[in-house]
Amino acid sequence: MKTKSLLLVAVDFLIMFAGLGIIMLNQYPKIDYTPIPWALGAAGLGIFIQLFLIKGRFNDDIWIFPMVLFFSSIGIIMLARLKPILCVPQLRWLIIGMLVMVAVLYFSRQLKDMMQYQYILGVCTLIVLCLSLIFGVEIGGSKNWLVLGPFSVQPSEFGKILLVLFLAAFLSDHKDMLKEARKRFLFLDLPPLRFIAPLLVIWGIAILMFVVQRDLGSALLFFCMAVFMTYMGTGSKSYVFIAMCFICLGAAVSYAFFSHVQVRFNIWLDPWADAVGQAYQVVQSLFAFAAGGVWGTGFTHGHPGLIPEVHTDFIFSAIGEEFGLLGCTVIMMVYVLMFYRGIMVAMGCKKELHTLVAAGFSIALFTQAFIIIAGVTKFLPLTGITLPFISYGGSSMVSGYIMIGLLLSLSKKERMNGA
Amino acid sequence: MQETAIIIKLLGIFLQYGLLLLLLFFVWKLIKFMRKDSQEVREDIYAVTEISNEEAVLTVLEASDETLVGQRFAFSDEIRIGRGSDNDIVLNDSFASHNHAVIVLLNNLYVIEDMGSVNKTYVNNQPITGRQYLQTGDLITIGSVTFQFGR
Repeated sequence: MKTKSLLLVAVDFLIMFAGLGIIMLNQYPKIDYTPIPWALGAAGLGIFIQLFLIKGRFNDDIWIFPMVLFFSSIGIIMLARLKPILCVPQLRWLIIGMLVMVAVLYFSRQLKDMMQYQYILGVCTLIVLCLSLIFGVEIGGSKNWLVLGPFSVQPSEFGKILLVLFLAAFLSDHKDMLKEARKRFLFLDLPPLRFIAPLLVIWGIAILMFVVQRDLGSALLFFCMAVFMTYMGTGSKSYVFIAMCFICLGAAVSYAFFSHVQVRFNIWLDPWADAVGQAYQVVQSLFAFAAGGVWGTGFTHGHPGLIPEVHTDFIFSAIGEEFGLLGCTVIMMVYVLMFYRGIMVAMGCKKELHTLVAAGFSIALFTQAFIIIAGVTKFLPLTGITLPFISYGGSSMVSGYIMIGLLLSLSKKERMNGA
Repeated sequence: MQETAIIIKLLGIFLQYGLLLLLLFFVWKLIKFMRKDSQEVREDIYAVTEISNEEAVLTVLEASDETLVGQRFAFSDEIRIGRGSDNDIVLNDSFASHNHAVIVLLNNLYVIEDMGSVNKTYVNNQPITGRQYLQTGDLITIGSVTFQFGR
């Protein structure tokens, strides 16, 4: 059974090479071979890592990695088609991501020990998020980039990991207090304020920072993650209710005070009011989906280039145009299956802390995919955020692979030693 | 020249449809493999949970709390040790963690596992990492309390 997962990895790379092949045939007779060695390197590394996972010294789950590679290879062929200049950097990030994942697996024991220092993690989360506030550079409308020499890093991507770890450590440690020591207020069960205060402070500051930095997608993502994890940790619906009140209030306040929030909301309600102006991006994205239909126009036969930022936030529209409903459904199904596998890993964990960490990472990736897919299809107001593993972006790729590495390292059912 | 154009066209069409089919093939195989895999796991769990009616006893040899010394704790399939009140053996010891350690029956053998305690669990004066099988006569030290394990 285990070796059959190699077939899936092979299919992933066949998808990548078929896509690159189509692009090269289109370029005939002036073919650009530069991505080929990188792609071969990535394929070799991917198969090697899968073999390493099958051997299973650090993990037991072998189905998550092929799914991640599936997204990565789709991302790479879409980039090769949309922005050929970014294809090689993306392949390079993929290789770096895979290597980082192996490193995470290798140091999994030490990392697991570090997971219990909750307040250090909480403070780290805030520091990482503050960094971009102080030293941030504005790229593409939101001031959440750090420029480190040749790289630009998005700290919020890494803040996500720290937030999950902090929440998991905090909730598993204070579970009893949050669950039992409570007062009844109307129909809500509230814990004493001093137990929930650290949680509220971290939520509030994280969200405030994103609103100030105009990174609404990350704000929404962080908020959803926090709510889901609190609910999973305590099993109390009161927290969900409080959070809903919180976000309604937050949304109303930011609608009243920030013009860019108003713009986003109005576009969502009626994109056709200003279809060539502010709503251009969303309208073009909807056109792309319409042009794709059920079967899609065929790879390289659509015109997704008309959508601004198509290679990062709007990559799903390009997939919708060229692979149609079929391709979109397949991708969404694989996201759901990845979430399912992640939750299975979480259920298999012995310790509450590890369960919450694994579930938190699955939730984070799934919610991120949901928010941006809902955004580009105008199901929810658009908030710019990357599609995990598919969009162009080094930070999101590497942080995604770190999450997968941690998830895999938690999937190990501990064997006996001694005896 | 015309021939190469036709070949390229045909190859392109082949790859186009191939790509779409590969996407579908991936999901189909993934679901099939994962279903099989999860069934196997279920059978595995079933095999492990066949419990016999063995009994084991923990005897307190040393403790800073004098009332605890000499007490015996009998259990059959699981016993939890820690400072928290939800444990089977509640240790009033500042060196013990809330949920310090657990001993469970697995395939007719008892296994001790440290639940991520701060001050570690010692078996025969060796700190344990992860899980470890217990044998009759092993000394388990948690904080200032020493138990002897017996069956």
